[in-house]
Amino acid sequence: MLQVKSLSARYGPIQVLRRITLHVDPGEIVAFIGANGAGKSTLLRTLSGLHRPSEGEILFEGEPIHRSQPDRIVRLGLVQVPEARQLFPNMTVRENIELGGYVHGRKHVEAQLASIFDLFPPLAARPGQKAGSLSGGEQQMLSIARALMARPRLLVLDEPSMGLAPLVVEEIYRTIEALHDQGTTVLLVEQNAMGALAMAQRAYVLESGRIVLSGDAAELMDHDDVQRAYLGKEYRHKWER
Amino acid sequence: MPVGPVESLSREEIRLLQMERLQVTLNRAFLNVDFYRKRLDELDLLPEDIRTLEDLRRLPFTTRQDLAEHYPYGLFAVPLKSIVRLKITNSVLRDRGQPIVVGFTRHDVGMWQSLMKRLYEQLGVMDRDIVQVAFNFSLFPGAFTFNHAAEAIGATLAPSATISARLQLQIMQDFRSTVLATTGAFALHIVETMETELIDPHRLHLRLVLLGPDPLPAATRNRLEDGLGAPVYGLYGVNEMVEPGMAGECPEKAGMHLAEDQFLAEIVHPVTGQPVAPGHEGELVLTTLTAEGYPLIRYRTGDVTVLQEARCGCGRTLARLSPIHRRTDNRLSIRGIPFYPEEIENLLRELDPVLDDFRLVITTCHGIGDQLELLLLRESTRDFPGGSRSQYLEAIRSHLRRVLGLGVRVSLTDRERMPGEGLIYKTVFRSAEPFCPA
Repeated sequence: MLQVKSLSARYGPIQVLRRITLHVDPGEIVAFIGANGAGKSTLLRTLSGLHRPSEGEILFEGEPIHRSQPDRIVRLGLVQVPEARQLFPNMTVRENIELGGYVHGRKHVEAQLASIFDLFPPLAARPGQKAGSLSGGEQQMLSIARALMARPRLLVLDEPSMGLAPLVVEEIYRTIEALHDQGTTVLLVEQNAMGALAMAQRAYVLESGRIVLSGDAAELMDHDDVQRAYLGKEYRHKWER
Repeated sequence: MPVGPVESLSREEIRLLQMERLQVTLNRAFLNVDFYRKRLDELDLLPEDIRTLEDLRRLPFTTRQDLAEHYPYGLFAVPLKSIVRLKITNSVLRDRGQPIVVGFTRHDVGMWQSLMKRLYEQLGVMDRDIVQVAFNFSLFPGAFTFNHAAEAIGATLAPSATISARLQLQIMQDFRSTVLATTGAFALHIVETMETELIDPHRLHLRLVLLGPDPLPAATRNRLEDGLGAPVYGLYGVNEMVEPGMAGECPEKAGMHLAEDQFLAEIVHPVTGQPVAPGHEGELVLTTLTAEGYPLIRYRTGDVTVLQEARCGCGRTLARLSPIHRRTDNRLSIRGIPFYPEEIENLLRELDPVLDDFRLVITTCHGIGDQLELLLLRESTRDFPGGSRSQYLEAIRSHLRRVLGLGVRVSLTDRERMPGEGLIYKTVFRSAEPFCPA
């Protein structure tokens, strides 16, 4: 579904992604984990057309999108739920959701609205409330709901668990799994490695702009490198390197 | 027999998967193994500079010598704590006395087992089968994998290790073993035992026989299929990586499917190191794609083969290795005793400085080297070192016996009757059929 070949990205002189190659198959949940500054968010911004790659190719459903405009990419079905929600706080829940579907036109928005509210009962209860006054978890739901209005075939989520209480994180993850069960392919970037690995089928570990590990998510969860990096399980002896 | 998703990817998809995994191998090797980092530094390359197969060819080969020089842990890419299995090879005859140790992480062991499982499954071995595994575990640590993979697919495992052929046959009959996994030489011994004990192959219930790790000559296969009354399949492995499991035959017997999702294969000219044209014979060079403990980049296997990329009759798209009948280093073997023609030449030149030429004539039975004859050519038919002509021949004969541990026929010949050299240095092969021992 998504094929990224030798993709590089830089901010001025700083090389953030170093020719990374990855893929997402239809129907998968793929997680990208890595520390702060590893290049995860840059990767997602590049996929969505918000940042121009300095090199490499991105193919979505076989079509090259690395030179496409962001709205074109959304129309193709690659839709991002941005980091830190990025809602319009002074607009209502309903308005925020409607904006998500604007690329497909008013008819589409009206047709979709009901099914989106079905998915998120807390939002359906308060369509007129200002987005800025929602709780963190509800804002994240709203952000996902808005993305769903764009009819994603590949839903890309940037740190959906950020700043949320553990119970709320679980709820967000349940929502993502439900969307996946309905046939949406998911690419997920997380610092919360264990949570992401528990949900994903496959994962990549990004370190300083390079993919240093990839594989089955369940296997990576027990992987020594991941344990060391994310759970702080350090070596007891120096010779363990 | 079901064909797995990895086994039916298009060539393009396999190539993409390989390049994606290669980036991880290169990154990890660069970050964690001094040997590889130095090599890249010397070329002023970073791992991300290798984007294509052509780029990969800029990296130097890794040889057995490199492995031996970095014994024990120099090429390990993870701390010992993450290693769950060591494979130590220290056979004087096989490796000229230099030890090598390979480490496997939990992932590596799982990968290895899943590959062996795949080989069983591509031959249709399933949970109803009774799998008898007859290997010497100390000579061939990979034998574990036959056992673990058989259990993993739910088959009934009967590990019979190194018990006598007679007992093996007893087990085969008592438990109605349907699959026998062993070496070619031991399978031949079992067949010979069946003939002396008058055991008819119909009394066995074998569905198939799986032989490894040594190459399987066609003649051996024919003899075993007749003797055991079941199809015989070969497999391939590289001692320094994964053996067995790396490649194996499917029922088509049209080459061994290579696990290209785990290993990247190149075929190069053994002398120039340059890639050969597709479909041509050359030395197999392998790069591991997911091995964590002991990644190997462009490892020269020494095995000569052809890589066929065309889709197999079984529906699998994984490329196939043709059976390996030669090595790049002229290694020969008589009844399992390996030696090099160059070594024999050095030895002869020491004993007789005016020797003009010589030939090693190897008589094969069922495709396996059985007897060695040495033909010597001397222009001068007088002045033999060591006395008379017969004393001279006897001196060479006894010297070879001491060094090789092998009886060798030695005779003088003249230029007209001297056979031409074959593909291997100073060596000629002759088949003894139909006069082979039963």
